[in-house]
Amino acid sequence: MLRTAHLTFAYSGSPILCDLSLTIQSGEWVALIGQNGSGKTTLVKHFNGLLKPTHGQVWVGERDTTTCSIADLAREVGYVFQNPDHQIHQSTVREEVACGLRWQGYPPAEQHERLTATLAQFRLTDYAHHPPAILGFGLRRKVALASVCALRPPVLILDEPTGGLDARSADDILTLVAQLNAHGHTILMISHDMRRVAEYARRCIVLQAGRIVRDAPPRDVFADAPLLQQAFLSPPPVTQLAHHLGQPGTPLTPEEFYQGYKRKDL
Amino acid sequence: MTAALVIENLTYTYPSFEEGSVAAPVLREINLRVRRGEVLGVMGATGAGKSTLCLALAGIVPHSTGGVFGGEVRVAGLNTKTERVADLAQKVGLVFQDPETQLFNMTVEDEVAFGPESLGLPREEIERRITWALSVVRMTDYRSHSPFHLSGGQKQRVALAALLAMRPEILVLDEPTAWLDPLGKREIVATLLELKQTYGLTIVIVEQDAEVLAALVDRIVVLADGQMAYDGSPHAIFARPEQLRALGLDLPQLATLAALFRERQSRAYDFYTLDQARLALASAG
Amino acid sequence: MSLAFDLYLPQPSPLHRLDPRVKIVGLVLGTLALLSVHNFWVCLAWVGLNALLLAIARVSLARVLGMLRLMLPLSLMVALSWPIFYPEGTTILFSVWRITITAQAVWHGLALALRLNALAQLYFLLLFTTDQMMLVRSLVRLGLPFEWGLTLAIALRYIPTFAGTFQMIAEAQQARGLRLTQGPWVQRLRAYLPILIAMIITALRAVDHLARALEARALGAHPHRTAYKDLRFTNTDWITLLIGAFAAILFFYLRLTFNFGVHPIDLFS
Repeated sequence: MLRTAHLTFAYSGSPILCDLSLTIQSGEWVALIGQNGSGKTTLVKHFNGLLKPTHGQVWVGERDTTTCSIADLAREVGYVFQNPDHQIHQSTVREEVACGLRWQGYPPAEQHERLTATLAQFRLTDYAHHPPAILGFGLRRKVALASVCALRPPVLILDEPTGGLDARSADDILTLVAQLNAHGHTILMISHDMRRVAEYARRCIVLQAGRIVRDAPPRDVFADAPLLQQAFLSPPPVTQLAHHLGQPGTPLTPEEFYQGYKRKDL
Repeated sequence: MTAALVIENLTYTYPSFEEGSVAAPVLREINLRVRRGEVLGVMGATGAGKSTLCLALAGIVPHSTGGVFGGEVRVAGLNTKTERVADLAQKVGLVFQDPETQLFNMTVEDEVAFGPESLGLPREEIERRITWALSVVRMTDYRSHSPFHLSGGQKQRVALAALLAMRPEILVLDEPTAWLDPLGKREIVATLLELKQTYGLTIVIVEQDAEVLAALVDRIVVLADGQMAYDGSPHAIFARPEQLRALGLDLPQLATLAALFRERQSRAYDFYTLDQARLALASAG
Repeated sequence: MSLAFDLYLPQPSPLHRLDPRVKIVGLVLGTLALLSVHNFWVCLAWVGLNALLLAIARVSLARVLGMLRLMLPLSLMVALSWPIFYPEGTTILFSVWRITITAQAVWHGLALALRLNALAQLYFLLLFTTDQMMLVRSLVRLGLPFEWGLTLAIALRYIPTFAGTFQMIAEAQQARGLRLTQGPWVQRLRAYLPILIAMIITALRAVDHLARALEARALGAHPHRTAYKDLRFTNTDWITLLIGAFAAILFFYLRLTFNFGVHPIDLFS
């Protein structure tokens, strides 16, 4: 469980996060949306100890993050950065996925077992001996994700998991994440892809200028047109279409729109 | 001749990493003609050869990359194999994906001036071009700013201005919105629409985001494994959802909706933008 | 902006307005002049003169003190080591084992320490009052090939970018459990290896992108590049150059004819 209370953060000068309080329960899939600069990355960095609050408090489970080291929190909270190339440095995929386990001091037998399981889960077994740096971007994303998931952290923070990916790779990654969520992992996802947010997330937190302006299921968030406009966001196209046609409800997918349209006809 | 761009039997293989091994061709037998003023969208999964195609249009492939180049590419009448990249750059403006690493000057003004300076233009002409280019991308107020603190969308607009200042005939963009937030994407789409409508620039844009393509293009080419799989109008291309999905590609969400209508109600809808969809559904319902 | 290496702060001072080429010439002449003297009083006067120039350039006290603090360890080492290793003159102050400390050597050591500070002041003066890019431009105008100047300029411009990337990579690795602050310093140093490797790979990719971006901007299209913002000598620049040249000639004349400033204590010897 992740919790913040009156979290305020500033490097120096004006605060990036202002009096932010939220609770994320175990097993949730939360999407964090908002314009670049609204404080999304700054917020999530508090959950693995990379940043400590200027005012207020942050808890991961029962522990206050100011009492933990980053390496400690890395076992609880896995953070997959936006750019996989910021993490990739080993000469084979195997070693890359294993290095987190090494750093955390797992015994070799357990390292091996987790490594094999993770490679299989992410379908990277065939690439085990390839150098990750020269693989395609989608694969590099998967390797970075796998290397964080090898530690099996209960909480997974994903920063733009589908950015720069083609449709198939994007769905691939999110399907894997959905499997993890089904197994009880808490997912906190920063994303600009409103369509996929609508499809996968069950809770949407909208940030603007360091404050939470809305915290609700995606359907409710995307129904709130003035809010989205204020935050420079747009709902998925079918949602916009329904709104323009005066169709009731907030469809998030073509299927939902179609059902809503049929009902309107009847 | 109204063809801005002619590609004939283009086949290209990058030089291989290891001694003795033979790399596979990244582009195979590409044939394409683009009319002046046309906006062409290029879709394809990662590794389909889209970026290589963009580099080939600017001559960077094969001049800077080496490898084996077969066929011919002619941009604005110039043969990319025989002309220097520096000369081709005056006809073809190439915008890359990463907003960070295509800007390398201290101020926006310096950045936009760099291209014209390379062309040896007189100072007054450079001044005119900077002012014009910045106004087209709506970054005039940022003239003396450092690009370091600009947003992704703003950086890409500066990159566009820097290329427009060289007055190219063709603009080639390799996934320009890949790393941008929704606002940034909107800014780029608006700028490109303006370039299309007001200046009649020929544009080739590679994009993963089908919504961006839907807003801009007159024609779409789909690459798969280095070959041209499909070539047609957006209506025609987006009317084949199964085929695009088989290649791992996305359609605009509204095109998926149109497919749903076609399937379930046998109505021949082929919309893919908001305006088209409104028109089609409002008149029917 | 360019955080780490850029010392430049714009101010409305005459030194800021001077053409960088004049400042570079002044720096070269000043360095030669300083290297030619060992006299305590002359070096002290130089430090005073440079302090005056720093004040004219409106450099804040904080930055001046920062500079002094930087130079302090080296200054102390010079002032102390000279008398130990180079006894000279006749007045012996004290002697222990094989080391004899003489008065003249002490003055000499102090003179050299002052000289070091005066040299540092000159170089910092240049960097405090000159925009990085204008400095590179002036080097190109003075004869540096354009491509070298461009390489230098891009390197300087990318320092903050790569510093930021380093920070992001460090965070990304720490988020996987890499411990950077634990253990003996050897272990800590080794811990930076993953960061360094990822950094190098990222830098290589960036270089590739940059090279293509440069090609896309028609680098090398025309044999004679224009410069949109160029340096131009004003009357003030010419006058300053002439005054400086005159002062330098006078100085070196005195130095070579009358041995001005050679002896550590006596002005002329």
